Amino acid sequence: MAKLATSPKKDWIVQALLQHEGVLIRYARRLTGDVETAREVVQDVFLKLCHQSPAELDGKLPQWLFTVCRNKAFDIRRKQGRMKPLTEAQVENCEAVDGTPEAKTVQKESHAQVVDAVALLPSLQQEVIRLRFQEKMSYKQIGEVTGKSVSNVGYLIHTAINALRGHMNVPGHAD
Amino acid sequence: MKFDKDNPKLTAYALGELDENERKLIEVEVAKSPELQQAVEEIRAMGESLADAFADQADDTLTDEQRSHIEKAADHAKPVVKKVPMTWRKWAVPLSVAASVAIVLGGISILLPGLSRARELSKRLVEQSATMRPQTVTTPATNPSSVNKRHGVARANRHARKARNISQRYVKMRGAYEPSAIESNQRGNGYVITQDIPAGYRQELDSLGYVGGTDSVHGVEDISATFNKLNAEGKVNVQQFISPSSGELSERSNSEAYATIVENSFLPVGQQPLSTFSIDVDTASYANVRRYLMQASQLPPPDAVRIEELINYFDYDYPQPTGDDPFSVNVEIADCPWAGQHRLVRVGLKGWEIAQEDRPQANLVFLVDVSGSMSAPNKLPLLKQSMEMLLEGLNGDDRVSIVVYAGASGLVLPPTYCDDHRTISAALNNLYAGGSTNGGAGIQLAYDLAEENFIIDGVNRVILATDGDFNVGVTNRGALTALIEEKAKTGVFLSVLGFGMGNLNDATLETLADKGNGNYAYIDTELEAQKVLVDQIGATLVTIAKDVKIQIEFNPAEVEAYRLIGYENRMLAAKDFNDDTKDAGEIGAGHTVTALYEIVPVGVALDGVDPLKYQTTPQPSEAADTGEMMTVKLRYKQPDGDTSQLIEQSIVDDGLTLEEASDDFAFAASVASFGMLLRGSPHSGDFTYDDIIALAESGLGEDVFGYRNEFLDMVKKAKQLPKR
Repeated sequence: MAKLATSPKKDWIVQALLQHEGVLIRYARRLTGDVETAREVVQDVFLKLCHQSPAELDGKLPQWLFTVCRNKAFDIRRKQGRMKPLTEAQVENCEAVDGTPEAKTVQKESHAQVVDAVALLPSLQQEVIRLRFQEKMSYKQIGEVTGKSVSNVGYLIHTAINALRGHMNVPGHAD
Repeated sequence: MKFDKDNPKLTAYALGELDENERKLIEVEVAKSPELQQAVEEIRAMGESLADAFADQADDTLTDEQRSHIEKAADHAKPVVKKVPMTWRKWAVPLSVAASVAIVLGGISILLPGLSRARELSKRLVEQSATMRPQTVTTPATNPSSVNKRHGVARANRHARKARNISQRYVKMRGAYEPSAIESNQRGNGYVITQDIPAGYRQELDSLGYVGGTDSVHGVEDISATFNKLNAEGKVNVQQFISPSSGELSERSNSEAYATIVENSFLPVGQQPLSTFSIDVDTASYANVRRYLMQASQLPPPDAVRIEELINYFDYDYPQPTGDDPFSVNVEIADCPWAGQHRLVRVGLKGWEIAQEDRPQANLVFLVDVSGSMSAPNKLPLLKQSMEMLLEGLNGDDRVSIVVYAGASGLVLPPTYCDDHRTISAALNNLYAGGSTNGGAGIQLAYDLAEENFIIDGVNRVILATDGDFNVGVTNRGALTALIEEKAKTGVFLSVLGFGMGNLNDATLETLADKGNGNYAYIDTELEAQKVLVDQIGATLVTIAKDVKIQIEFNPAEVEAYRLIGYENRMLAAKDFNDDTKDAGEIGAGHTVTALYEIVPVGVALDGVDPLKYQTTPQPSEAADTGEMMTVKLRYKQPDGDTSQLIEQSIVDDGLTLEEASDDFAFAASVASFGMLLRGSPHSGDFTYDDIIALAESGLGEDVFGYRNEFLDMVKKAKQLPKR
């Protein structure tokens, strides 16, 4: 029997996988603390996607993926009793996996400072900051993913940026 | 409105997150202020740095095996036919079967159309807003003294603002009472109990002329209403229909304890010119009333309605204090909505706000009731969720301990720094309900622990989480309150979080919090936990002034009689005002406290009071000719102080109409009148639920979190429920 032609549904899933796999693992890793668990979480997300209708998720696929990812990550964290956000040491370890230390430039050091400063924020602030500036989500989308109101998201981001400006000694920052 | 760089809208503006109207408004503010311009530049620069820094981080990928697994699943993925939403399908099946019945606590039949209407309204208003011009909100001039006389913001263009502010949170809040949420009993929002009707009861229903079970959602309404009615008439025993595992309904209404409230009546100024009371920042009664209306679909018992707690559930836009005092005092006077010839005085306090990073280090001891009655989903599971939420908002150097009590008391988490989430979370996860309650012994252990770990100049607080069912051991209420009162003097304060329904011992919990210099909140949903433990964490934890008392002297030349609305169990004798040994209420960081007086002006007859036979009206002093309506006096102590300080200010009635009053004034008045109707107050005149709705709608204001819209839902629900 000839191999089944690729269905539109499968195309949709594979396309979603290609487009969002990396960012979701990155997001899940922040929430769970290690990349292996993050991969499992993301695998579950896409297995769940197989049971969804493309039409129903039209226009809101990224939010759906992030929301499911977040819920699964939190489930696992709860089960494992791992509510502790990443420590600085863990963050460094995480970055070591990604990074190419030998190629670090001055600019990368400055970026590392920013990432370190983010790691000092409360975990929820870290999460919304990453969703905003790493995943380029709007306040509204972040609200949908995290279950927070838009105004609460705005407050969290505002507070986080103020704290970061303080940490990074932005000239003129008086707080 | 003063716009400054601490306003989150500035960041939203800098990041391009605002809609056109708001963007233009803030653009104007930014253009005027070099400081704001600099802040905007820095926020944008920070955003770019963040984006650049994150862009450096490489993505991980799934393993080949994982990817292959997904692709195989995708191969087998069937085209999905659009399904009837789960919510409706689940209802349709049992309802289509004549022998099944769903008893719904939560008024689904009313809420569903309500939700749809709300969304429709939201949509319509948003559309309207696009065509409306943004308006400038004028801020009244602030009196240089510590008391601000607040005139109302004109309410002419309210609808435009209302349109902008029907928030997502509102929809989420509404969602808490949707069937899907109600099905999800883990969330503790409501209950659905489905069970076959025993044949005998079926016959009884039929014989009584009640035909339940249709294939539409109206069937839910019919059956629910039928059962409520039959139960109320004593014709059936609803408990017998309840699945034993759900348990909640059978507990309900049979052991809840409310202290009797005798409503304050009008007092003639000639006889009692002084009104003295202690402030109250509790909000438990509001959440409890909401639970009755929205989850149990019944009017609350009158004594469960403490009007001051209903009013104080809401934040009002009082200015931050500017002087040395820890709170600002604000007075506004306008027409009384439910009594045309009367005036309504609003006295509002606003405590200074404290940023999380500035919050003193905290030593919190959770005293958790794990008795058998706490096993319901809206008790211990919701409590655990609430505590997780609270932990998110605490600083890393704050310390948390957990003491449990049931058959025996025990320490399950020794003092642990909050950055050790793992240990705290593990302790939380290991809490299970079982056994009976010995609240007294648990409290002793919790206080001992708090004292051993006392942080000087810090927040030292025992947080009691319970349904209040102290049924074993030291339950002597007097001994308990004496212990708590004594400990409060040492600087360890008590907060009380009430959970669940059925045996909520409201009166005991309120007293404990009152004596413990703390606050009492009732947590019925995750959203309420969010409000109390996240949004208002500063107010919940940090006391900025204690023993706050208010005394008002009315001018007999202007005021015939007055009535304090609510605060019945907070009344003090006039001489207690200057007596620093007399305990009174506390105010937390950022708290607002509001009290309303209904005033009968001179020249308006006071019903039901005969002239005095043995004395004449005292001679007014010269000050009575100043035109002042009253003098407001406040006394408070610093949290660690023993000597009170006095704030005093004279108030003149400028004769505002209700239309000229602020949104907050109108809204607070609507909440008060709702409380009065629920209590069956004789003072509410012919004011109706429709009047309350109209008044509340006129005062919705910004309503960023959607609480005021939720209030409207409650009034609409109450209107539809059968009167007692």
